[in-house]
Amino acid sequence: MKLEAKNVNFFYGDFHALKDINMQIDSNSVTAFIGPSGCGKSTFLRLFNRMNDLIDGTHLDGECIVGGQNIYDKSVSVDELRKTVGMVFQKPNPFPKSIFENVAYGLRVNGVKDKKIIAETVEKSLKQAALWEEVKDKLKKSAFELSGGQQQRLCIARALAISPSVLLMDEPASALDPISTSKIEELIFELKHDYTVVIVTHNMQQAARVSDKTGFFMLGELIEFNDTKKIFLSPDKEQTQNYITGRFG
Amino acid sequence: MFNKKRNRFGETLIEWTLRLSGGTTTLVIVLISIFLFTEGWGLFKSSTVEKGYVLCVNRSNKIQNLTPKQVKEIFDGNITSWKQVGGDDIPIEPLRMDDIASQYTEEEIGANFEHLPQKLSEAIAAKPGALAFFPEQFININFQGRVLPAETITLKEYFGGKEWFPTATPAAQFGVLPLILGTLWVSIAAILIALPFGMAVAIYLAEIASNRVRKILKPLIELLAGIPSVVYGFFGLIVIVPLIRSIFHLPVGETALAGAIVLAIMALPTIITVAEDAMRTTPLAMKESSLALGATHWQTIYRVVIPYASSGIMAAIVLGIGRAIGETMAVLMVTGNAAVIPHSLTEPVRTIPATIAAELGESAMGSVQYQALFMLGAILFVLTLGISIWAEIIRKEPKVQ
Amino acid sequence: MQKNKFTGKRANQAIFFSLFRLMSYLVVGILFCIIGFIVIRGIGVINWEFLTSAPKDGMTKGGIFPAIIGTFYLVIGSMLVAFPIGVMSGIYMNEYATNKHIVRVIRVMTNNLGGIPSIVFGLFGMSLFVNKLHFGDSLLAGSFTLGLLALPLIIRVTEEALKAIPDTYRQGSLALGATKLTTIRRVILPAAFPNVMTGLILSIGRVSGETAPILFTAAAYFLPHLPTSVFDQVMALPYHLYVIATSGTDLEATRPMAYGTAIVLIAIVLIMNLLANLLRRRFSK
Repeated sequence: MKLEAKNVNFFYGDFHALKDINMQIDSNSVTAFIGPSGCGKSTFLRLFNRMNDLIDGTHLDGECIVGGQNIYDKSVSVDELRKTVGMVFQKPNPFPKSIFENVAYGLRVNGVKDKKIIAETVEKSLKQAALWEEVKDKLKKSAFELSGGQQQRLCIARALAISPSVLLMDEPASALDPISTSKIEELIFELKHDYTVVIVTHNMQQAARVSDKTGFFMLGELIEFNDTKKIFLSPDKEQTQNYITGRFG
Repeated sequence: MFNKKRNRFGETLIEWTLRLSGGTTTLVIVLISIFLFTEGWGLFKSSTVEKGYVLCVNRSNKIQNLTPKQVKEIFDGNITSWKQVGGDDIPIEPLRMDDIASQYTEEEIGANFEHLPQKLSEAIAAKPGALAFFPEQFININFQGRVLPAETITLKEYFGGKEWFPTATPAAQFGVLPLILGTLWVSIAAILIALPFGMAVAIYLAEIASNRVRKILKPLIELLAGIPSVVYGFFGLIVIVPLIRSIFHLPVGETALAGAIVLAIMALPTIITVAEDAMRTTPLAMKESSLALGATHWQTIYRVVIPYASSGIMAAIVLGIGRAIGETMAVLMVTGNAAVIPHSLTEPVRTIPATIAAELGESAMGSVQYQALFMLGAILFVLTLGISIWAEIIRKEPKVQ
Repeated sequence: MQKNKFTGKRANQAIFFSLFRLMSYLVVGILFCIIGFIVIRGIGVINWEFLTSAPKDGMTKGGIFPAIIGTFYLVIGSMLVAFPIGVMSGIYMNEYATNKHIVRVIRVMTNNLGGIPSIVFGLFGMSLFVNKLHFGDSLLAGSFTLGLLALPLIIRVTEEALKAIPDTYRQGSLALGATKLTTIRRVILPAAFPNVMTGLILSIGRVSGETAPILFTAAAYFLPHLPTSVFDQVMALPYHLYVIATSGTDLEATRPMAYGTAIVLIAIVLIMNLLANLLRRRFSK
């Protein structure tokens, strides 16, 4: 499923957080957003499943298009949208429920009642998230008994269980140790066969390793958006060059 | 693709239910004030002379009206001449139904009181100093006396009156001054007793006690707040009241002091909790810089922690007073309930809540007494609401440097 | 000289600190004194008959069964009123209300309601429920009055319980396409449940000991039978204690009954506090 932003301007109260952003994201690809803290990359990501709606006093101009439909149109149901556009957060945020129930949650709230289907989907999702082998014997245990890296993969499995088309990841590995991080990265690489993945990261190596295309944000503007190789080897803009070579940010 | 599909009527309904629930407390406060005031306000429109009864004088009498206070004094025998209430120098001759009945024989009045109106009229006409009090129905067409206009109770009489005597006839007395003063007297005495203990415990818990001791003491103090007020009242009645009677050699132990002691115990948890919370907000950096200057822990407490928490401590005192003012059952059981202006701690007093609790059950709905008690409730409501808001404002005040 | 001053300061501190410790133990001592005194004097009357039979011979013999049942009904009735409204109100304040001023007003009003004396609730209940709505002196009127009294406590506890739930739970659920309501029902409320229950239990303790609100709305001095409908008057433990402690015909003869009633009241409060603390300790990791 394709994503598109047309002339997007976003405001927190009076603060102009995103300025005139245009972007097209292809299906079945991994796109990375990089940039210094507070540049708006997370805000931009969260526009695509309308998580910014939860913040008071925000306001959007322009269009965000998912699968050909402007998701800020009045006729759009936010929960239907969020089923299609899944999200993984910076810190693992499992619910205070069992491992099984965490993954089954999305199914249950979307009206799936058949126990067999739920069990199958939970297993499939945990396998997809490369967690099945580690947890298959303790599905009834609390999700809090898992390590941080496992919890994050559980959250990914939870997002996958409702079979979204798009997966938004907001710095999914920033709170994890290097081994867990590499596992998540491998997973992201696998996921792009079935999903459109967008990932925000402040770790440039991570962006270089996992993504096909990279967008560089600064002070609310999209400075450059191109193939990842091009961005990291020969960026068009000087600001991008400076950031990537570590001269600021 | 993402179009709204499901009917969201259910969710909207639930959201509105939640919104309405959120408004409940506000609604209740508004309703309480409306109900108390509408029920109570009638007091200032009604006569203190018992319903269905009238006061009459001889036609030659120049007096136009009498206040409830004057009526009571006359029938109590404290005012004996019309001169004292602004009339001629004639002795007052009070006439009640009983007096009439004893002056005439049963035959003269008639088996069914059919001649009574005539006799009444004659009796009043015969005595220039008469002041008669009798049921309105006994006034007939050729009545020779003059009916005094019914006097309503004024705000000044209600708030300034020194006598609370709601069942007196012919004129009930509704002076709330003794009740207001009694309430304040007991409450303030209670706070003065509770304050040193409350502060000591608050300081101990906030600054001195180890975590382990705190974990034991806190729930016990919460428990102190949880004990029902009738139990406090009962304890006061069987322990504190006899103790006070024997220590001060009093005829009765039910005194303001007994009420103050019981209220002090009951107000302690409030004072301790609020003051301790306030002390805990003192920034660590402030305390450390005091300690680093060579101050002892105790010096730091009284020079840094207490001044810093002073507004919270004030709020604790105010809330403690609020708690004491509104307390009903315990006070009702131990203070003796004499509606007199208090002069010492060793005599009985009567508070506003105790008055309501003791009298409302016996007053007829809609009667003057009923209205007067609701007015008392309204006073109590305003008083405690004011105290809550006051405490809130004190807490928000900027901290002392 | 310097050394003297140093020790002087310390000695001062030691004196004050011991004084504070002593006073603190004294305050707690009062609690044990009250409970101990009543329990020692009254434990003798507590037996199966006392708890399961009606008062006899002008309240000098028999038991307090109707009062226990009455208080039980009043607690249930008042919680049926206060618990749903209180929890929904807390949910509204913490999860739905977007206007900060409205939340502030509700919070201030809730605090104020909590500060209003119980006798005022009694007056209000009498004039609204008993007279205006024609419930009469009844279980129904008493339950509503006590329910309103317990409302602020339940709202406050619910709000605090909801506040303690991390926002990540909410976001995680919403991001899976759950609606706000589903999120509250499936994630927020289950997580807040133990704390909300603590509030419920504490309110039960509070409500079962209140006398003034039921004085004119529900309580009866003596009833020959147990209440059969919500429009019946009820006997209640705290009112029963008040009556037999102050206005019996033979105060000395009713004393043991009064001690026994007081023990039952204290026991209810103790058990409720204990339960609440256990629950809190169990679930606060």
